[in-house]
Amino acid sequence: MIQISGLVKQYGFNPVLRGVNLHVSKGAFVTLVGPNGAGKSTLMRIVATLLKPTAGEVKIGGWLMPQYSDRVRRHIGLVSHQTLLYGDLTAAENLLFFAKLYRLDHSADRVAQALKRVGLAARERDAVRTFSRGMMQRLTIARATLHEPDVLLLDEPYTGLDQDASALLDSLLKRESENGRTILMITHDLVHGLNLCDRVAILSRGKIVQEIANGEVSGSEFLDIYAAQTGRTVGMANKAHE
Amino acid sequence: MRHKQGGRSAWQTRRMNKLAQSTPSTSLRDNPFLTAVWAIVWKDLQIEKHTRQTVSVMVMFSLVTVVMFNFALETELDAARNVATGLLWATILLAGTLGLNRSLAIERENQNIDAILIAPIDRRAIYLAKVISVTIFTLLLELVLVFVFIIFFDKPFWRPIVLLVLFLGTVGYVAAGVLITSMTMQTRSKEVLLPILLLPLVLPLILPAATAVGESMVVAPEASIIRSMVSLVAAYDLAILASGLFTYHLVVES
Amino acid sequence: MSLVKLNRWIPILNIVAAVTLVVSLGMNFFYAPTERTMGNVQRIFYFHVGSAWVGAVAFFVALVGGALYLRNKQRIWDTIALSSVEIGLVFLTIATAAGSVWGKPAWNTWWDWSPRLTLITVAWLTYAAYFMLRGAIEEEDKRARFAAVYVIVAFVTIIMTYISIRIFRDIHPVVFGGTLETAEGASEGLQDFAPGLESMKMGITLTVNTVSFTILYIAWMFNRIRLQYLMDSVDSLKMRVATRLQGGKA
Repeated sequence: MIQISGLVKQYGFNPVLRGVNLHVSKGAFVTLVGPNGAGKSTLMRIVATLLKPTAGEVKIGGWLMPQYSDRVRRHIGLVSHQTLLYGDLTAAENLLFFAKLYRLDHSADRVAQALKRVGLAARERDAVRTFSRGMMQRLTIARATLHEPDVLLLDEPYTGLDQDASALLDSLLKRESENGRTILMITHDLVHGLNLCDRVAILSRGKIVQEIANGEVSGSEFLDIYAAQTGRTVGMANKAHE
Repeated sequence: MRHKQGGRSAWQTRRMNKLAQSTPSTSLRDNPFLTAVWAIVWKDLQIEKHTRQTVSVMVMFSLVTVVMFNFALETELDAARNVATGLLWATILLAGTLGLNRSLAIERENQNIDAILIAPIDRRAIYLAKVISVTIFTLLLELVLVFVFIIFFDKPFWRPIVLLVLFLGTVGYVAAGVLITSMTMQTRSKEVLLPILLLPLVLPLILPAATAVGESMVVAPEASIIRSMVSLVAAYDLAILASGLFTYHLVVES
Repeated sequence: MSLVKLNRWIPILNIVAAVTLVVSLGMNFFYAPTERTMGNVQRIFYFHVGSAWVGAVAFFVALVGGALYLRNKQRIWDTIALSSVEIGLVFLTIATAAGSVWGKPAWNTWWDWSPRLTLITVAWLTYAAYFMLRGAIEEEDKRARFAAVYVIVAFVTIIMTYISIRIFRDIHPVVFGGTLETAEGASEGLQDFAPGLESMKMGITLTVNTVSFTILYIAWMFNRIRLQYLMDSVDSLKMRVATRLQGGKA
């Protein structure tokens, strides 16, 4: 579904991505981990059609980008580390706006269903500004999947979530994956979401250095591999969770 | 909620019907460009309906400016009357930068613009929608200002030609403003940079617009002057709207 | 154009520019006749027109540079646009200062909001703001892109300012009429001042000045572009060193 080959992105003379190769097949859930500054967000923005690559190819559903970005856009949903929601609008209005943008039929019904699915039906008339971080994140997922995209892109979705909210997000993501969506998630968090995915790829200094299938190695082995590949010791927070 | 929604779609239908009358050939509800424009305008109006921040800030700022100017002009009505036209435009320009900044800051607040950019819509629709919504806000401000100026300066600001020039001038100003503000919002200095960049660019608009307003309020207005000034304003509107539509994708994409 | 080529041509251009500048200065003072009504003050006029001309050319070049950058995203066009606006602003400032010095004896005022001066002021503000915009953007690619869009819009509005001021003056001859009109344009002005042989000498001096200012502009452009090349190569060297150091550690 997502094919990335030889992807290079340079800012001025500063190369951020230096030849990334990644293949995500239809219905797969792949997580990309890496330390800050590895180029994760840049990669995500390129796949989300928000940034043009310097060199290399990115194809989604067989369509080459950025030439065919317009065709790809209808089929992707993005959950960014920003909420991408309007704080002054109500939950329902936010979703209704995106339904209008995507020219969806029966938008009011769809919005109501989406809100119910993420457990926010009761708060549909409240301004998003008043929501907790976890509620915003659920609404964000409702927004990103409103148009039933084939590909769901997740950029650091666990940032700022507490235990309960994380668990809820886990179950939401699991359901989206089971619904057959192709999911690409990037994170620097080595605790959350890793057990959900089929495969983990480690991004370090603008390159994918290793790919590991789920269940191939144990948790502590993975942390060792990660530390060896990225040259970073695993953060205190992660250790504490083990 | 359901009741509310009914009201909205009725409003939308009415608007669409109105648009449809002007170009009867295609069904406008299905035009992807216009639905995108309408979606964004609807969203902006909805936000303004909830917060009422943009128009109220612009109005308050304008009132303060007018009162301050009055003091600076030593409150002599005759002196004030002579500069009323210029003062009206100066106030609109300055208050306009507030509206522009606010309207485009909303799109950057939670990086919302990304969500619009990954939607399958034409970038020109974003530009046009922002121009429409800020123009609506600025026209609301002008409604108040015209009223205030009639009272303060006792001049016939209600004349249709004055209102027409105000409308055309606002469209051109906002069209330039949305393009420039979309850039300044992405710089380090954000709001501060806007007036420095925008105000010199709108001089060719304000010069004829102020002349036209001034001329149309004298005892015996000269039609030829007004006509040439109004066509200058309209020419600016077209030139700047064209530049905006043509270059906007370069300003929002990366 | 490569750095090597630039290095070869720049010294030659610099010398040519310096020589023509000295020649034109000499002509201003010793070849051109003294103008009858204005006296020696009029000699500043050659300088004024020459620099104003270069200003206009420079902003046009910037427009072309900006448009070409947007078309093929090659850095050189951004560099050309930037260099041209920088140099154009310098020449515009020279023209304004010279015009002001001339205005004092001619119209007994340093400054007047005549159409021409209004236009110059607005152009100056518009292009000075160009640097404010550039200075506020970190990422190179975005900076170049926004600057190119701005330089195009700026040119469009400057043209419109010019047109509207022309029309404006036509309908308000009282405000801008009288003595100010005698300062209208180069050619009209010259004919007013002196007939026959003297007029021809003035014309030649003006032409030589304009040409030498244009050569100076070209020389400065090449120098400025070379400077940008050097700055860029320093940046890329720094980057390579940093990468090497990082790589060595892992």
